[in-house]
Amino acid sequence: MSKLLQKASLLLFMFSLSITAGIQAANQQSSRHEGYANNMSQDIPGSNSRGALNKEIKRDPAFHYADSLNVQGTEDASIQQNDDRDAFTFIEGQLDEDEDVIQGSSTISSSNDDYFLSEVGYLFSPMRFRIRAYENYYSKMYANGALLNDAERGSFSYGMIGGLNDATRNREGLTYIENGTFGGSDIAGASNINMRASEFAAGHKASLVGCNRNYLARAMYTYATGLMNNGWAFAGSVSYRWANEGVIEGTFYNSLGYFLAAQKKFNDRHSLSIATWGSPTERAQQGAATEEAYWLANSHYYNPNWGYQNGEKRNARVVTSFEPTVLLTWDWQINDKSKLTTSVAGKYSSYGTTALGWNGNAADPRPNYYKNLPSSAYDVWDLDYEPTESEIADWTQRYNYWKESKANRQINWDYMYFANRQANASGENALYYIEERHNDQMMLNLSSVLNHEFNNHNKISVGVNLGTTKGMHYKELDDLLGANTYGTDVDKFSIGDYAPTSDYVQNDLDNPNRVIGEGDKFGYDYDIYVNKLNLFAQYTYSKNNFQFMAEAHTEGTTIERYGNMRNGRAANNSKGSSGTAKFMGGGGKLSTVWNINGNNTLSLGVGMQKRAPLAYNSFVAPRISNDFVTGLENEDILHGEASYRLSYGPVTAKVSAYYTKFDNVIEQSAFYNDNRSVFTYLSMTGLQKEHYGLEAAIVYNVNSALSFNFVGSIGEAEYTSNGTGYLNSENSKINNEAQTVYMKDTKVDGTPLTALSLGIDYNTNGWYLSANANYYSRVYIGASQYRRLHDVLEKHGAFTPEIDADGNEVRKGLPSQYKGKGGFMIDASIGKSINLRGGKRLNINLQLQNVLNNEDMVTGGYEQNRDDYYEDGDERIYKFSNNPFLYYASAFNAYLNIGLRF
Amino acid sequence: MKTLKYIFILCLSLFTATACMNDFDEPNLDTPPYGNNNIGEGTTNIKELKKEYETTILSNGYEEITDDVIIEGVVVANDETGNVYKQIVINDQEGAIIIGIDDVGLYATIPIGQRIRLSLKGLYIGGYGSLAQIGTKYYNDKYSEWQIGRMSKNSFQEHVRIMGEPDMLQPEMVPFEVTEDFLKDNNNKNLMPMYVVLRNVSFEEANGRKLFAPEDEQISATNTAVERNVKIGNEKIIFRLSTYADFANEVIPVGNFDIYGVLTRYKNPGNSSKDYWQFLLSSTNDIVPVNDVNN
Repeated sequence: MSKLLQKASLLLFMFSLSITAGIQAANQQSSRHEGYANNMSQDIPGSNSRGALNKEIKRDPAFHYADSLNVQGTEDASIQQNDDRDAFTFIEGQLDEDEDVIQGSSTISSSNDDYFLSEVGYLFSPMRFRIRAYENYYSKMYANGALLNDAERGSFSYGMIGGLNDATRNREGLTYIENGTFGGSDIAGASNINMRASEFAAGHKASLVGCNRNYLARAMYTYATGLMNNGWAFAGSVSYRWANEGVIEGTFYNSLGYFLAAQKKFNDRHSLSIATWGSPTERAQQGAATEEAYWLANSHYYNPNWGYQNGEKRNARVVTSFEPTVLLTWDWQINDKSKLTTSVAGKYSSYGTTALGWNGNAADPRPNYYKNLPSSAYDVWDLDYEPTESEIADWTQRYNYWKESKANRQINWDYMYFANRQANASGENALYYIEERHNDQMMLNLSSVLNHEFNNHNKISVGVNLGTTKGMHYKELDDLLGANTYGTDVDKFSIGDYAPTSDYVQNDLDNPNRVIGEGDKFGYDYDIYVNKLNLFAQYTYSKNNFQFMAEAHTEGTTIERYGNMRNGRAANNSKGSSGTAKFMGGGGKLSTVWNINGNNTLSLGVGMQKRAPLAYNSFVAPRISNDFVTGLENEDILHGEASYRLSYGPVTAKVSAYYTKFDNVIEQSAFYNDNRSVFTYLSMTGLQKEHYGLEAAIVYNVNSALSFNFVGSIGEAEYTSNGTGYLNSENSKINNEAQTVYMKDTKVDGTPLTALSLGIDYNTNGWYLSANANYYSRVYIGASQYRRLHDVLEKHGAFTPEIDADGNEVRKGLPSQYKGKGGFMIDASIGKSINLRGGKRLNINLQLQNVLNNEDMVTGGYEQNRDDYYEDGDERIYKFSNNPFLYYASAFNAYLNIGLRF
Repeated sequence: MKTLKYIFILCLSLFTATACMNDFDEPNLDTPPYGNNNIGEGTTNIKELKKEYETTILSNGYEEITDDVIIEGVVVANDETGNVYKQIVINDQEGAIIIGIDDVGLYATIPIGQRIRLSLKGLYIGGYGSLAQIGTKYYNDKYSEWQIGRMSKNSFQEHVRIMGEPDMLQPEMVPFEVTEDFLKDNNNKNLMPMYVVLRNVSFEEANGRKLFAPEDEQISATNTAVERNVKIGNEKIIFRLSTYADFANEVIPVGNFDIYGVLTRYKNPGNSSKDYWQFLLSSTNDIVPVNDVNN
């Protein structure tokens, strides 16, 4: 008993340390606040340009969490090799500038020993590969059966378990067509993390990592008692990840992770578990840039987000997040045939991103703002154009400025402080400041799943999953950058559109002209409520070499916005409740696995579902008003797949073909509409997408030590229809303007649609070596919906054919979508497992990624939501269409992990 | 066990030590992080400068300044509300001149009342509508000719020096009081621009509803300005106001005002009989009610 106490107190000690650190992080966070960003526009001489909220908000960055092996408490060299894969996942480069929630495309760790699925996520993670190009919100993440996905955006936030590799390693996965025991799977699969203390292998584990990625060092310690004779089990894990400056210049990383679990098995039938974890994290982000900026900086890893302040590097985009979660589980083994698992998960997350803000008519302080670039001097893309002397001089001056010093191509903090000091001296308000945009969330999820085996051939899994979420969205003034005052809470960008004294410019009409200081909420403040009730039933029949699975579920969803401010531009529909939008969805699937003989297996699966739109896409201008998107309806999904698996001597192979159709898809983009000088939301409805392709994996075991393997995925993922777009603006001057958005034939972005890998594994005497040559191509970047709007295209003459000299009809086409360069990357790893005295074991593993240092692989990006023409049809000098923002795959990097088990 | 505790404490202290990664000291701004801090004292005043290049200015020409000429003045008009765009006007006690700069947000570093020095060597001086302006030459596609235009923002940074903090009470901020007699003398137009005050005037359009510069009243689709008029006696002064100004949708105030700003002229190059008095307004704060006891 005293030993138990000792162990418990150790865990408690760890826990208290974690909590203390967590509270510290929370405190820091509450002292850090937020900003507002705007952007200059309209380069018409004699007119003024007006700022507005600038971030070109984009969704769905590809971003992988690839801890794909499903290992239950065992470890061998190959597992070590795959350890700590989240090192790949927090490459912020993939997160778009305004991405609020860390998203991960979870690799499915299938339950049926699928080589393709177990390898593909990790293998292709340097290129942010998403299986079948599915969006992240089509996969589900459970813990002990409780659903952890963010109900507003649909996807799971990997920041929730950041750094907790050991604690989250016990996982089982399902593909869409498989049945499981913990809940329904989604189009892109499902994973269930087992967080029961008794499932952790007893003993100590400590590991140290050194790498040159987003963080440079990580320490992790995990301890578990295993299930003790008295029925108790405890497990705890603590980790710390750190980089004063990560591999990307101007970024830092500072993250603690803690996990604590206890379980009591009362008897053979009842067991109660509790687990709590969190990862208070502070990290600076990388931003995308155009090829021109990369060229000027002479690096594809140029990061425009930082600049020198007093000679120190300061990043304007800092994420502070903490998502403490508690999970309670009751396992009830009703009898030999039946088991009921009931879990409740709750979290209160805080997620803030800082951003630069600027007021009134101040200049855009971002170093890579297009007007600062040489190609703003004259049209460099028109090779027939002969620039004038002064244009060449202008170009040269800009070019030299960029090349002259590193400071010139970064944020000039000293300049902003100086501007604010000048404002102080003139009795004016801050010109520049930092705001912190919050997307906090409270979530509660209850799940109860009954698994029952009728006999050896028939089993069912039925359950209920009930979730409620409150998303809290607001911003705070974080740092006045030396200014004395911010001024009042008015929308500075509506002031030109309305009289400065009018109600329209007020952000909070019930508290007009409220003076804003550091730490105050301003701009917008609203909550989004999402409730979901999901009922599901799965039936599995298996006999001899035949398996049949059927699943059906129904899901009710309610979505509501509750405004905490009465916005002056929407005085009657911004405060209070939006009313509730209700959706009834559901679906089902059927699949079979036919083991024709020992060596040949055929599987087939089909499914369909109706699902509610995401709350994130459901409001036309969520920061301003309660209005729902017109024509909000369920999305329809149809899916079919077939796979064939062959085992022939030393060769095992699997080939799959899939087809998925998404219909009535609703998406939203938000951006600064330069032509109309206003922050604009574009909601699109009625979109159709199709994903189809082939997947293959072949393993050739030469002998027990040596094997060759091939993994490949070639697919298509594209919009197959145009959509109806609804434009709305934050100044309320554009109200639900409906237009066609020409999205047809646009590809799904941010993942290579072709990814092939050839590898070799060698494993002997505790040594493990592997090398892979990977080929990627057809990486598209996010298509700007704005540039595909009817009105914008019409201005370009897309619908009015002209007759050329030869009498042929000429019609200016739709914008083409930027496709990243493909190419090869080589990865390798070497590991050694050493058994020490007393059952201890040391694992050393070195992973080398992108050994040939290919720095030209585009992983994604986005087109600018700006047009090459002014509203009046005049052509601009700067060509937005030729200047997409791009992200590049990491250069050569190494990851050394030393782990000790004792 | 001790080792473990040690590791935890290490981790914790590491966390605490590095937790404030985003705290920074305010920069030292004794030397402005803007402009060229090596520019020496003024060598001439603005009046002399305008006189020297008068022929060029009045004929809408341009000329490069090749000598080491430095002027010093105080900013009396800038782009703070967006009515003035890509220009500032500086004034010494003898005269004022327009500086054309291809940049926005100039008021952030050079607010009204800011003393600056401008090193002119390598810049151009010329006339636009026979109004004196410093900048660079540029090729006007529309008229197929070279004209005086705006210098680039990088060029401006090389040629400007910020002197001290803005001060609204210095002698350069004392405006010239415009009278009807002054306006009647056409020769005075050659002195423009000038920092002035129009005493006890009213806007002709003011009716309690009319806005300063709404889009639907702009001169043409490509000319995003609206004209408003003020009279001193029989002499008319045209206010050209941008529809992009922050105050564009403000109601024009009714009553009598003292209006501070820059008096300019526009002489149509193709028709010398079209030679107008115009007024450059930086902000509606410069429109001060005459019965305001505070003024």
